[in-house]
Amino acid sequence: MKRGNVISPIALFGIWELVGRLELVDPLFLPAPTAILAEAWSLARSGELFIHIGVSLYRVGMGYGMGALVGVSLGILMGWSKRLEEYLDPLIEMIRPISPLALLPLMILWFGMGDGSKVIIIFKASLFPVLLNTIAGVKGVDIKLIQAAQTLGANPGQVFRRVVLPASLPTILTGLRISTALAMLAIVGVEMLAAESGLGYLLVEAEHVFDTPKMFVGLLVLGALGYLWDRLARVAQNRILVWHKETTLEGKI
Amino acid sequence: MPLIDARNVSKVFGDGQGENTTALDDFNLVVVEKEFVSIIGPSGCGKSTFLLLLAGLELVTSGDLLLDGQPVNGPDPGHAIVFQEYLLFPWRTVWKNIEFGPEVRGAPKNKRAEVVSKYIKLVGLEGVEGRYPHELSGGMKQRVAIARALANEPKVILMDEPFGSLDALTRENMQVELLRIWQENRCTVIFVTHSIEEAVFLSDRLVVMGTHPGRVKKIFPIPFPRPRKREIISSADFVALAAGVKGLILEEEK
Ligand SMILES: Nc1ncnc2c1ncn2[C@@H]1O[C@H](COP(=O)(O)OP(=O)(O)O)[C@@H](O)[C@H]1O
Ligand SMILES: [Mg+2]
Repeated sequence: MKRGNVISPIALFGIWELVGRLELVDPLFLPAPTAILAEAWSLARSGELFIHIGVSLYRVGMGYGMGALVGVSLGILMGWSKRLEEYLDPLIEMIRPISPLALLPLMILWFGMGDGSKVIIIFKASLFPVLLNTIAGVKGVDIKLIQAAQTLGANPGQVFRRVVLPASLPTILTGLRISTALAMLAIVGVEMLAAESGLGYLLVEAEHVFDTPKMFVGLLVLGALGYLWDRLARVAQNRILVWHKETTLEGKI
Repeated sequence: MPLIDARNVSKVFGDGQGENTTALDDFNLVVVEKEFVSIIGPSGCGKSTFLLLLAGLELVTSGDLLLDGQPVNGPDPGHAIVFQEYLLFPWRTVWKNIEFGPEVRGAPKNKRAEVVSKYIKLVGLEGVEGRYPHELSGGMKQRVAIARALANEPKVILMDEPFGSLDALTRENMQVELLRIWQENRCTVIFVTHSIEEAVFLSDRLVVMGTHPGRVKKIFPIPFPRPRKREIISSADFVALAAGVKGLILEEEK
């Protein structure tokens, strides 16, 4: 990290702390950073914070995992078969523009107030970037690269595994990364609207009792989780692409 | 028996909307084993099309295209093609790119390693086996593409303007290398180029194609003894032969 990158946050927190200590702004609206940290510490010690984090991560993980799995496999099939794409495309274009949160009432009706309805919403939010990127990735494979493989003796299965998959993998991984952000957006919305646990719920609960430091803790944790997840996805992306370059995909995927 | 026998070959491309392009019409060419044949002609005369037919990536519309006495009916590792754009697999190292053919054909690991290192040596790529294509210069990429094609030990190697995107010096260097490789390996080469000098320098015979429709206009035997040195290109015989070819092509382009 460049040194310049830390100057602005430090300045911001410094001024913020000053404003808070001098009570230039009512602490109800803007508690000092140290007050927020103290709140975070007590939430962590009581274990409450980790329960909410755990619940949110579970829902996001399930929904995102399903979205990734379905998105990649269906995307490969649809990218490979023009027929299948033509069949499914209208359906996809119908469901895709619907905001995931708009589906919540119906999903609660169908799957109840438990985790099921929430996981489905996350699934919906994560699915389409993965699906569309996978389709684009598979369809975007250079036909001449495929021909080169054919002239070297590759049969259709080998062309698929050794050329189509690796060639489309960068695009697929991009889709998987975009979805991480969307899944995080969706989980907060869902938990704010209809949950008794999770980070979204923590925010709403804090609002009800005017516990502003708690609200900030929720926001901080969400920011940190989103950031970490994206980092993780980035590292995985780089590693997978290197791994991928170094092996043959034989028997893999 | 000729290795390649093209008899009255024609190829018509349809664009799906009723517009047809006759890329080749009544194209005839016989190539014997171990021959180095170059094809030259104006843009769009069907040179690439002929190579794609030989590679089995396109099928003839009419006529007979025989390879080793058998009609070509699809891609086959016995007739390898090297494209101008190299078309290396970017996710594979130099070594793995060259190994691709033997690998998909199920050669055992030790045999594969043997073949790959042989061709890495032949094309002069020692020391860069572990690099990825994006870490190579144009000339090196083309060497990888050639080695990858050779690793299947094909009877015929088809090259479509393989040196077209190289700078002049690298190109001259690659021509000399190609002759050396061919001399050591002695497979049959069909070589498409835009450069008369390159074609005359490399080939046993030079096919000049005419356009509208694509066909063979004239075949020049190139009598210079082998092995050839770059210096022959300034000899009187060479210059005269090249001028003759040029005259014929200019006439075609009028
Ligand atoms: N796939 C294709 N579909 C339609 N027309 C094609 C196709 N490939 C080549 N052609 C046409 O066939 C003719 C010969 O093309 P090509 O063999 O590429 O020429 P060259 O390699 O000699 O420049 C050109 O008119 C070209 O437009
Ligand atoms: Mg061409």
